[in-house]
Formats: sequence, structure tokens, C-alpha cells
Amino acid sequence: MKIAAGVDVGSTQTKAVIMRGNGGRPEIVARALVDTGANVRKAAENGFAACCRNAGMAPGGVGLVVGTGYGRYNVTFGQAQMTEITCHARGAQFVFPGTRTVIDMGGQDSKAISVGRSGEVLDFVMNDKCAAGTGRFLANAADVMGIGQDEIGPLSLEATRPVKITTVCTVFVESDILSYLAQGKKPEDILGGVHLAIARRTLSLARRVPIEAEITMTGGVARNIGMVTALREVLGMDIQISPDAHFMGAIGAALFALEKLDESFESGVWRPEHASGSGD
Amino acid sequence: MREAKHEYRGTIHQRQRELMLRWYERLDQSAETGEPAAVSLMISGNCVELLEAFGATPLYPEVNALQLAIRHQSLEPILAAEELGYAADNCAYVKADIGCYLKGITPTGGKLPKPALVLCNFVGCNTYIKWFEHTAALTGSQLYVIDVPFCREARPGAADVAYVVRQLHEVVAILEGVTGRKFDLERFRQAVRCAARVEDLWSEIKHLARRSPSPVDAYFDAITLMGPLYVYRGSPEGVAFFELALEELSAKAERGQGVYDQEKFRLVMEGPPPYPYFRTFRDMFAKWKATAVASTYSTVGGLWEFGFRHDPEEPFESVARHMLEQNVCNRNYLQRYEQLRRYVEEWNADGVIIHFVKSCRLFSAGQGDMRDYFTRTLGVPTLYIESDLEDPRYFAEAQTRTRIDAFFEALEHAKRTGGGRYAVSLSTESACRTPQLKVIP
Repeated sequence: MKIAAGVDVGSTQTKAVIMRGNGGRPEIVARALVDTGANVRKAAENGFAACCRNAGMAPGGVGLVVGTGYGRYNVTFGQAQMTEITCHARGAQFVFPGTRTVIDMGGQDSKAISVGRSGEVLDFVMNDKCAAGTGRFLANAADVMGIGQDEIGPLSLEATRPVKITTVCTVFVESDILSYLAQGKKPEDILGGVHLAIARRTLSLARRVPIEAEITMTGGVARNIGMVTALREVLGMDIQISPDAHFMGAIGAALFALEKLDESFESGVWRPEHASGSGD
Repeated sequence: MREAKHEYRGTIHQRQRELMLRWYERLDQSAETGEPAAVSLMISGNCVELLEAFGATPLYPEVNALQLAIRHQSLEPILAAEELGYAADNCAYVKADIGCYLKGITPTGGKLPKPALVLCNFVGCNTYIKWFEHTAALTGSQLYVIDVPFCREARPGAADVAYVVRQLHEVVAILEGVTGRKFDLERFRQAVRCAARVEDLWSEIKHLARRSPSPVDAYFDAITLMGPLYVYRGSPEGVAFFELALEELSAKAERGQGVYDQEKFRLVMEGPPPYPYFRTFRDMFAKWKATAVASTYSTVGGLWEFGFRHDPEEPFESVARHMLEQNVCNRNYLQRYEQLRRYVEEWNADGVIIHFVKSCRLFSAGQGDMRDYFTRTLGVPTLYIESDLEDPRYFAEAQTRTRIDAFFEALEHAKRTGGGRYAVSLSTESACRTPQLKVIP
């Protein structure tokens, strides 16, 4: 039996997953989620340690660790790094084998990934250097309205007349929201407008790779039911959501780690020399 | 600055440095004494041969700007220009250059000469015209704008050539006035003859990159060679430099020596590099042992690898043709598509990298469609990244690194398995079709 882990160090949260492979379909043994905070290296270590605790095993029992996410090079105890783009594609295809498009919305970026039949990346686009269309945009909207981040999604579903949000700027949206609050608009209608604005922006991003069914949404924002609903509405297509959507990058990384451990694996997706490239 | 582990350093790099330092010394001398006369000139389709005929030296504000950026000194002049009222999204080259005049900054610490003539030789970009107008206003120098018609068809018409030639004669009369020298046609022919020889040599260097492994990186190394190409093209020193460069790189090719110990990927690059992070950017490709075998940026001053040469028998006409059609900026977008497509096919590249420049609408507008054309129509893996050629504030290292790493992860998989969209053959007729302009009703 082989045990491997993936540690996805994101801008907001660090996700770790331990997986077990014994020839058949790999299984998830444990998950862990910690805030990344200012010390990225420590967050990676904490995330992995928490995951080992959740699995009831010592870190030494994990055969190989692959780091991913923005902080992947801070997973110094890992044996390799891969980008979260490659890992989200792989993770999504593992959970939903029919996945052809991944929409990943994280804390500071959003991506649309066109996925091949074996989970390989065919094409991808990312948001510009701007937080519009990301979790940060939603977090700002929640803050300015004084509503918890977990509550804004469900509340947005109660909108009857969603307002028009004219800006997609994460900073300027605050003044838009304050203006609507001053006009006496209902919080649910404002939030409905906020979610639709982001969904439309994400749609224009996703259209730059061919949007093909099945679509799987990954990343922390996938936990926001308001965002998922708004995206389904503007896309006019179904979107698959796994309870593990937030962990999809870590799952992909763990799968690559397992494949490397498996001597018979020869897909060549991953090479250990990439772990310490000259540029880093 | 950190040295990249894989970077080739040969005699040509040392010689290039000497030549460029000598050019800056000439500019310093011009600032002190007025001799040689310095003429402000644009890189795009530059007519340096005409200046050579008068013993004048080109003053390229773009080269000054990029040299400042590569030395991490561009932000100060940019901010100086913004304080004056230049908008945040104005061309950062313009702001860096204007800021240099305002603050008296040069890349070498020398002085900026007062140009004897501010010669705007490229009008495809409206910002450039305004740039040179401002330079003339700031320095009190004479301004002449050569109206070079944009390349609307595959080739400029006879009227286009005659129109530019007529203006070149007017420039000659102005140069006679500002330099106090009589125009010498034979000296002009000699400069054009040197240019033609340099173009032969440069073209051969570009074609060396068709070999596998390529002995030269036609983006990062080409940038080293572009300084002498634009400053010394019309002089015997330029000929000697490029003879040396070809000899050195040919010897490398004969030894089977590539840019890296093992060439893993071959790329075509579109757009200028992010000069404020030049080394960091280069290392992102060096990590994957990816060699640029061709680039459009190395053709902004002139496009010679497909056969065009200046002609000493028709010096004015060939300079005009060069300005009109043989530089990437004055050509239309479909011509740029075709140029890139030929690079991918004939230089046997694995993919295309498009670097979108935030503050340059001229070069970057339409690159989203370009990406779609290469990815969807031709099946060529294409990566689109954004930052700026001059303004360090637009470069997000982590985002750029993620995109580049993900691109190579996917490319490696596609190369090894031969599957997916990336496997679409370029040699099929349908895949090679250049898109046609559509009229949108």
C-alpha cells in the first residue's frame, strides 16, 4: 500500500490531503485546512502535520509529498512542486471523470482550465492581476455589509431584484455597495447583484477556453452556494460541485505523488527534477 | 543582478558591451560639444543609414528606457513623468524617457545630449508622435515627423514608397542644416552597403536557431545583439561585430552546443520582455531548458530573416521600403500572425509565448485573438502572460511563474503522450490557414 500527500498552499488557506493507493482507485485518507497567514512555510508544515494527525499517522509514514499553490516552493519538506493549474485539473478529473472544464475560484485568482480525458491540462486562462472575480472580492463585499462570509451566498439566493453592480473593482465595489445601502436597497438584492457581477466576469474569462461539459467548479469559492447558483445561471449549464472542491488542488497533488510512488506508472506527467528548478 | 546558470557568455557579449559603451561615450561627447550631432530616432524601421551618411549618431530613447529598466532604475523617471501629469496607463517608455529629461538621468550616469534633430520615423503609434513632440518641446530641438503609411496590404504601393522617399529628401536637407555637412550620396550608399551586409549576417544568425539544439536564444540573446544592430548597422564596426557573432555562434552550432546542456522546449516569443525583471523572467524559461528559437520583438527594428535587404543601388527607396514594410510594428496583424506561424513551422517550435505589455496598446491590442488563433485554429500551445516592458509595478512574479510552470507542465505531458489538442499537426493545409479579416455588420 502506498501513502502520499498533496499540500496546496493558497493565498488565503492551506489545504493538505493524504491519499492511499493499492492498485485500484486511490482513496482519500485525511484532509486538513489551516489559514495560510504571514508565514507561508509554517502554514505548509502545519497543514501537513494536521493532516497526518487526522490520518492517525506519523509524517514519516507518508511516502511522498507534492506541493502546489502559490506557496508550493515553501513546501520544503515535499519532494516536488507542481502548479495548482495542473493539480486542479487532475483532482477534478479524479472526482468527476467526465470533467472537461474546471472553473477554479480561489482567494486571489480565478482560472478556467480545459481538461483532457486523463486529467491533463489542454489550455487555461487566469484572471488579470486584479482581484475582481475572486474570493477577495466577495470577502470585501461581506466586510462592507457586516455579514459573515459564510452567510452571503445563502442570503444572495433570496434576492428578488438584484441590483446592478457597475464596477468589478474589488476596491470600488465598496462605494457601490454603500451607495445602495444608503438608497435603502435590501442586503439580499445587493448581494444578488454582487454574485451576478462576478459570475459574468468569470464567464467572460471561461469563454476564452472552450467551455465544454462537464464543468467542475473547484476552489474555496465553490463553497458559496450563491456563487455556484449565479454561475449556473449565466452559463446556462450545470456545474458539478464536490464537497472536496476546496481540496481539489491538494487531491491532484496527492495523486501525482501517488503515481510517482507507483513504480509501474509511466505517464510522464511528473518529473522529480522539476522539484528544484534552476530558476528558484 | 543574478547571473542565470545556463546563460551563454561569449566574446560577442564582451564586444557588444564595448560597442554600446562607446555609443554612450559618443552621446556624452555630443552633450558636451555638440559633436557628433545626435538625432533622436525610433527603433521601429529606423533609418540609421541616413544618419551614418552625416556622421550623426542615433539617440534611441527606447534603448535608454530599456537600459534603465534592466538596471532597475526606471521607476524614478516614470514617477517624475506622472507627477507632471502623464496618466498611469501611458506608454511607460515615454514616461521613462520624459522623466530622464526632467531628472537628468541616463543609464550610464552620463549626460543626455540635446538632439540636433528629433526625427519621428514611426507614426503607427499616436503616442510616439506625442512623445517626440514633447521631447522637441523639452529640449528646444527641431522636430520632423516622417509620415510612414501603415502597411495595409501585403506590400506598400509605389506611391507609398515615393511618398516616404520625398520626405527622406526633406530630412536630408534638414540634416545638412543641423550638421553643417553637405550630403554625400556615396557615403550614404556605403552605409546602406554595410547595412545589407549586417542584415545578411544577422539573418544567418536567426537561421542558426532552426537547428536543434539552437545555439542561440532568438529572444534573450537576440536582445543583446539588437543594440549594435540598430546603432552600428550602417558602419564597418557593425559589419565586424556581426561577422564575429556569426562565427562564434556557428562554431557553437557545429559543436552541437545549444543554449542549455539539453534543449527541452523550443518556443516562439511574441512581445518585448519585462525589462525590469529581465533576469527573473529569463530564469523562468531557463528552469525548463526552453530556448526561444524565434521572436517578433527582435524584428521591431527590421525584419530580415525572410529575405529583405537594403540596396546600395537604390538607397533611398530601400530605406523607405524598410520603414514601410520590413519591421513588425508597421505591419498589419495578419502579417504578424503569418510571421509567427512561419516561425512555429519553419523553426520547429513547440509553442508560442505572448507577453502582453500593459502600457503599449499598439503592440498588444489583439493579442487575445492571436492567442485564440494559435491555440484553437492551429492547435499550437500558446501562453498569454501580462506585465510591462518598462514599468516594474505591473510585474507579478508569483502569477507569472505559475502560468509559465503550468504551461510547461502541460507541454511536457503533451509532448510525451502525443495526445490532446496540442497534437494537431501544423503541416496540414487547414491548420495553416491564415485567418481572414471579417466585416462585422
